[in-house]
Amino acid sequence: MATLNLRNIYIIPSKTALGLLSIIALLFLLGINFQNSLVYIISFWLLALLLLNIFYTWRNLAGLTLTAVGIEPCFAGEKAVLEVELSRPTPYAKYALELTWEDAMQVQIDLISTQTARIKLSHSTQQRGRFTPPRLKISTRYPTGLALAWAYVHLDIHGVVYPAPVEKAFQAQGESYGDNSESGLEITGGTNDFGGIRDYQYGDAPKRVHWAKFAQTGKLYTKTFVDYASHEVWLDWETLPMPGIEVRLSHLCRKVLECHQEQRQYGLKLPGKVIAPDKGDAHKARCLQALALFGLAND
Amino acid sequence: MTKHITYTGMIWLLAAQVVVILPFLFDLPIWLLPVLLFAAGWRLRVLSGAALQPGNITKTLLVGLGVGGLLLSGLKFPSLDAMATLLLLGFAFKSLEVVQRRDAIVVIFIGYFLVALHFLYSQSLGAALYGMVSMVILTGALVGVQQAISEFSAGQNVRFNLRLAVFMLLQCLPLMIVIFVFAPRFAPLWSLPLATTQAKTGIADRMAPGDIEKLAKSGDLAFRVAFKGKRPAQHDLYWQGLVLNHFNGHEWRQFARDYDVYQLKTALLSHYRWNPKSVQVQGTAVPYEAIYESSGQPWLFTLAPTVEVEGAVLRGADYRVMAQQELQAPFLLKAVSYPDAQRDSVLPEYLRTLALGLPPTGDARSRTLAQQLWRETGNPQAYIDKVLARFSEQAFAYTLNPPTLGERDTIDAFLFDSQRGFCAHYAGSFVFLMRAAGIPARVVVGYQGGEWNDAGQYLAVHQYDAHAWAEVWLAGRGWVRIDPTTAVAPSRTEQGLEAAVQAEGTFLADAVFSPRKIAWLNGISQQLDTVQYGWRRWVVGYDRAEQAALLKNMLGTFSIERVALLVAGLFAAIGLFWLLVLGLTQRPPKEALEHRLYRRFCEALAKHGVQRDVGVAPSTFAAHAAQQLPALAGVIREFTQVYEGICYAPTADGQNATRRLKALLAKVK
Repeated sequence: MATLNLRNIYIIPSKTALGLLSIIALLFLLGINFQNSLVYIISFWLLALLLLNIFYTWRNLAGLTLTAVGIEPCFAGEKAVLEVELSRPTPYAKYALELTWEDAMQVQIDLISTQTARIKLSHSTQQRGRFTPPRLKISTRYPTGLALAWAYVHLDIHGVVYPAPVEKAFQAQGESYGDNSESGLEITGGTNDFGGIRDYQYGDAPKRVHWAKFAQTGKLYTKTFVDYASHEVWLDWETLPMPGIEVRLSHLCRKVLECHQEQRQYGLKLPGKVIAPDKGDAHKARCLQALALFGLAND
Repeated sequence: MTKHITYTGMIWLLAAQVVVILPFLFDLPIWLLPVLLFAAGWRLRVLSGAALQPGNITKTLLVGLGVGGLLLSGLKFPSLDAMATLLLLGFAFKSLEVVQRRDAIVVIFIGYFLVALHFLYSQSLGAALYGMVSMVILTGALVGVQQAISEFSAGQNVRFNLRLAVFMLLQCLPLMIVIFVFAPRFAPLWSLPLATTQAKTGIADRMAPGDIEKLAKSGDLAFRVAFKGKRPAQHDLYWQGLVLNHFNGHEWRQFARDYDVYQLKTALLSHYRWNPKSVQVQGTAVPYEAIYESSGQPWLFTLAPTVEVEGAVLRGADYRVMAQQELQAPFLLKAVSYPDAQRDSVLPEYLRTLALGLPPTGDARSRTLAQQLWRETGNPQAYIDKVLARFSEQAFAYTLNPPTLGERDTIDAFLFDSQRGFCAHYAGSFVFLMRAAGIPARVVVGYQGGEWNDAGQYLAVHQYDAHAWAEVWLAGRGWVRIDPTTAVAPSRTEQGLEAAVQAEGTFLADAVFSPRKIAWLNGISQQLDTVQYGWRRWVVGYDRAEQAALLKNMLGTFSIERVALLVAGLFAAIGLFWLLVLGLTQRPPKEALEHRLYRRFCEALAKHGVQRDVGVAPSTFAAHAAQQLPALAGVIREFTQVYEGICYAPTADGQNATRRLKALLAKVK
């Protein structure tokens, strides 16, 4: 969280102001040469306007609070999306605020009728690991463009960048991956083998309805399937034949994604870290995070 | 980031252009109007989506047309008119290609410049008020082009921007005034030929019968005068403009050769220069200051003889005071006159020659009359009295509508045939008769009298106060002013022209709605005139001398340090004023103690590795944190409980609770 105030807002007259200054100088010369009071007045009035606008533009940033809401994890090479909340405690509406990353991402936002607004900013990522967003620049030229006020905000938030998954995972020999053995433990709710039928429940997919039985009995039944978890899939660092940490991590990443998609029960073995077999979104996130932070300090 | 302008911004820009261009149409060539209208029309069509932005060929054609028109219009280069026309063309054409914010800003800045430029044409209060409106619209447009698409509707946008522009410009006023008062004033750096098309008004440098009547039908202001001491009697207010020495049988001119202003300046600086020793100062001094309206002519009107003047003016051997150049702006003159002083006790020979010259032939009857009257009287004073008596005793009439007299023998035609004339007829024929008798005499043109404004304590002299009278040179008395018109119409100098032609009913006959004819309107117009006078005197007339006087008045003695100190103080005060007005001095509301403690609690837990995400309820977070940090679980739960207690069920014993929070916080750390 960062609040903009006298200490962290920078303000300078903009290039536009330099243009106006030259007009002011021209008018001053005109006033001198024609000894014309009213031309002087316009010249001085514009000068006063220029100075006043430094205050106005400054006020357009002052008091603004930026809070990082969160960063969604992403894969290396993708855009990390940061959500920022802007709020204004002062009674003055804020106009034409520009939020900028250093590499050209720019978003404009107003806070007129609302006190707070959330805005999503994306930033490209290069490698897996912890992602610390670079300082965010918030700037404004409002109301006249004659002054430029800006502040840098370091948002105290970190995101995780997963390794980029390889296109196709390596298939190791002897790995039980994809082996549908009959002797294993059945896991209901699977998708692979027919397990039996049960009464239809609201929400069951039409594809699973046993239409033949319906034709016979006039009652809806749902076919159930089972998966076999007998051979829990172990995604093991040691069994990968290829060298290189990042390459291995990318393979494992792909495998995690595949296993998750196929709703398998899988575990992850990394040097120094073992995640017991499980399934579901939280498990996937835990595995991917372990891959992302593998070998990094403060794991 | 798009730097394009929104639709509303475009409308703002167009409005600003129209407002800025409008006043120039009264001063500049009329062919500009269709060109500007065309540009505005095209812009509107582009805005409504009916046309595309003009292509390069169209643009080149348009610029060519504009420049061609400018060349053909016969405006002199370099001159103000040419500069203004060129800027206006650029201003209008630029609008044809405005897409980017940067282009719009250029247009607005030129607009600001044009607003100021128009003050070279007029510095009246009306023009100033219009200029203020233009400033507001331009500033509104400047805000308008900065805005991105927002939640405002077009109407709200207009109201909001106008309000903001008015506020900003008003808040600028104090600083503008301080700079205006204190900024150093310099003498012109180089002289720019103005050569505007401004019409010449007021007294001209020649006088034919009928000229002054035309002027006397106008109710326009010529100048205003404020007296520092006692105001002279109305019938003594003879405002001398120029002296006409040469008569060609039809009209009176200054000299035999027709001088233009520059030749006249040369003459006034050489042989026709004022000689201070020619005046023997006597009688009471009349100090005054006059502000002349811009007339397009260099003549100034003073009470002769003027002895002291402040300011850069030229002074002639005939006691005239003349400006260095044609008045394109109101002109302030401070002078001291001595109406009773003796002028030219010894008449220089070249002045005598000028004052005796007559055409070799023509007006035979008048010449015979002069010789006859001179024989009857024999001395100048008696001769003068005889001529004036002739005007009052014979059937001469004072009228604003005299018959025309033809081109030749005009003096004869007036003296013997029509006998109906205005001041120019009387002054001209009187001087003719004097010269025919060998008495040096000359025609003086200027204004007589003026209207006293009691509210403003000044005298307003209008065009209908234009007058012509005579000066004769008498041995031992020097130049003596004689007004032959008073012999016919004594009320002219006592009560003004209105009274003098009352019976005739011709006063301002063409101006049907002249406020002078309606009593209550006249009162209001006097009030308005007072405001105008103040404006002329204190704002338009604020120059180097005024500044020096004001600073001396304010500071006692003038010194750079004192001025710097004063200005720094004023700047600081204005800065403070701005901070107050903009609400920048208010501190943001302080967070309640329990919230601050909770924030520190979260920070402490973060150090232990447990982050609280934004928007996570304290109880949820507590459950999570307690799970992560079993050692601190009790403290975390209790802290959260007490905190929520304060937040959601405040009790009288808030102090105890916060003390408890502090104690618990210490344990977390």
